[in-house]
Amino acid sequence: MALPAAAPSARDRVSARSSGVGERRVPFADLRTIVFIAVRQLWERKLLNGIAVGGVVLGVLVLIAMNGIMQGFSMKFTQAILKISPHVIILDTELRPQPSILARYEQGLVATQVAHEVPSDRQARIKRPYEIVHALHELPDVKAAAPSLSGMALIEFAGKTKSIDLRGIDVDKQEKVTPLSQFVTAGSIATLGVANDGIMVGSGVAADLGLHVGDVVHAAAPGGRPLDLKVVAIFEAEIPPVDKVRAYALLRNAQTLLGRPDIISRIEVLLWDQDRGVPASDRIERAFGYDAEPWQETNANFLAIFAMQGMIANFVVAAILLVGGFGILSIQIMIVLQKQRDIAILRSVGLRRSDILRIFLLQGVVIALVGGVLGDLLGKLALGQLAKIRVHMEGLVKSDTFLIHEDPRFYLYGLAFALVVGVFASLLPAIRGSRVEPVDVLRGQIG
Amino acid sequence: MSAAASLAPPPHVLAETRALYRALSGTGAAPQTILHGIDLQIARAEFLALTGASGSGKSTLLYLLGALDRPTSGEVWLDGVEMSSLDDDDRAAFRNERLGFVFQFHFLLPEFNVLENVSLPMLRRGVPRSEADDRAYESLGLLGLEDLWRRKPGQLSGGQQQRVSIARAVANDPALILADEPTGNLDSRNAELVFDVFAHLAHDQGRTVVMVTHDREFAIRADRQVALRDGRVLGEGRRGEDILPSSRRLLPSDPP
Ligand SMILES: Nc1ncnc2c1ncn2[C@@H]1O[C@H](COP(=O)(O)OP(=O)(O)OP(=O)(O)O)[C@@H](O)[C@H]1O
Ligand SMILES: [Mg+2]
Repeated sequence: MALPAAAPSARDRVSARSSGVGERRVPFADLRTIVFIAVRQLWERKLLNGIAVGGVVLGVLVLIAMNGIMQGFSMKFTQAILKISPHVIILDTELRPQPSILARYEQGLVATQVAHEVPSDRQARIKRPYEIVHALHELPDVKAAAPSLSGMALIEFAGKTKSIDLRGIDVDKQEKVTPLSQFVTAGSIATLGVANDGIMVGSGVAADLGLHVGDVVHAAAPGGRPLDLKVVAIFEAEIPPVDKVRAYALLRNAQTLLGRPDIISRIEVLLWDQDRGVPASDRIERAFGYDAEPWQETNANFLAIFAMQGMIANFVVAAILLVGGFGILSIQIMIVLQKQRDIAILRSVGLRRSDILRIFLLQGVVIALVGGVLGDLLGKLALGQLAKIRVHMEGLVKSDTFLIHEDPRFYLYGLAFALVVGVFASLLPAIRGSRVEPVDVLRGQIG
Repeated sequence: MSAAASLAPPPHVLAETRALYRALSGTGAAPQTILHGIDLQIARAEFLALTGASGSGKSTLLYLLGALDRPTSGEVWLDGVEMSSLDDDDRAAFRNERLGFVFQFHFLLPEFNVLENVSLPMLRRGVPRSEADDRAYESLGLLGLEDLWRRKPGQLSGGQQQRVSIARAVANDPALILADEPTGNLDSRNAELVFDVFAHLAHDQGRTVVMVTHDREFAIRADRQVALRDGRVLGEGRRGEDILPSSRRLLPSDPP
């Protein structure tokens, strides 16, 4: 064996070089070494780590798909409902009932209640509605307001009768609050405004009675005067509960039909910002003394169902990610136990405890990130495919496909949750690995 | 026994142990003293053979000399530094920069090829990759392994693996090389080769080598021999001196 010739001054050479003098050093050596080791060890255990990655992918995929579907559905519902219904409805319920006339004038009198007031006084109504509408426009949140009257009526056509939710509106004002014209599928809403005896019915109403534009229906309501109204338009809001029962007529005609002349029973309000429904309603209640209901309250049942659905879905997602986390945990624990020898080698050649800790943590993070990114990609693909699936939906919202909302935030959430799971799952194995005492392994106690 | 009170050994002494005790408590058993006050000086560029029967404490002493383990009491001085004055991280850094280990069971990382195994300690302390690879390759050449640099440890024979682990210890350019029965698992030809490498490192490159060995022939050829028995230094010998027969004579054949 050929050995190189001896250095002239061997001792000098050793003391100079071994103390690191003249040796070039690059920064972040620890990080580079850790990444080198962590990635290589991951790569050499592709199958095991692939399984761990799979768990994370599944969790992130389900997170994205579930939320995409649910958000799609609830957003479509909210959007649809907010096109046809206002942000705030002012109802004819007085919050501070006015004291009776007697009490108003004779303070301190014993009788403050009148057993039988005159019917007109007792009838629910919004008093001085046009002043309120005018004043509403002064509020900063309010974009538009429209007075209307609503009530139940029966319409009859070709021997069939149907009960409808009749809205008497001022077409122009109502259009500003809930733009109905966009839902008109036959006829025109403009005709409703100009014709004396027009009615616009929902597509479901029209289908039930076999109505077409131009047909004349006979409408009646208890206490009112029956009218013959001509169908001037048919609308479809794609919300079956609305399309099946609602009809619009001129305010004047509705008042006659329902027997409530000059009465306004509700004022519908459009806000600049739909999310300010609750504070705006509070403000309106305080200002006018009538019950104002934000859309969130009107649709509280649905919103609660959506929230509940969301919670359940996220429990499922959390459970899957948890299982994914346990996958990482068990595989990493196994590797740490198998790798005692390697840890002892690394420690004896000068890696620190913290290096070992970071190697295993990094492996968890890499597994999580790879799983997260793959999960995001698969999630995106899945959303695209889901959106193509043809389903016939006609419950709350009408649709032919899965309603998918692709919110980019969920890709971030997917990554973030994967990362958290990865870090937490590999923490225990990493700590375990960093505590390995090289001498214990060398003495043969372990490994 | 504070380190500050003791004086560092003179500069020509690379390693020194003072009244070194190490007790170990095996599982369930009462603490058992493995080393009983070892006082040992190792000069720079010395090739020292550590001998003794199985269980006499050679490995335990080697781990203490290599800053891998901490004594129960006593001091270990390495290159002017008392080891108990360093924390765990500093001792790791010290091992990385100054020490090279060769273990009895060729400890290599199976995921890394031969060259990577050898260059890894250098990478940890920031030697640029290309330089680390050059030095690793050079060091493999010293052991006749340059053609195998691409292989994974699993594709090597036991003797080749042992030589790779020596190359790793050497490439790191350590002041002190500690080898625990490096020839124990090798055939005579490979054992001879490995011994020659250590002799070369000590005599031609001025490195300090401590080698645990059971092989009397090799021990005799080292600069100095230290024999342990039951955790105590039994005797010393110079090169060529056969201390084992005399030490046998010193001791009763049955332990007291
Ligand atoms: N973890 C432990 N707990 C208690 N005693 C131990 C432990 N490990 C080793 N020993 C004991 O310490 C003594 C010294 O062990 P050591 O490994 O240093 O001996 P050695 O001289 O290297 O032996 P060998 O030649 O067989 O390698 C032995 O008697 C052994 O039984
Ligand atoms: Mg031993």
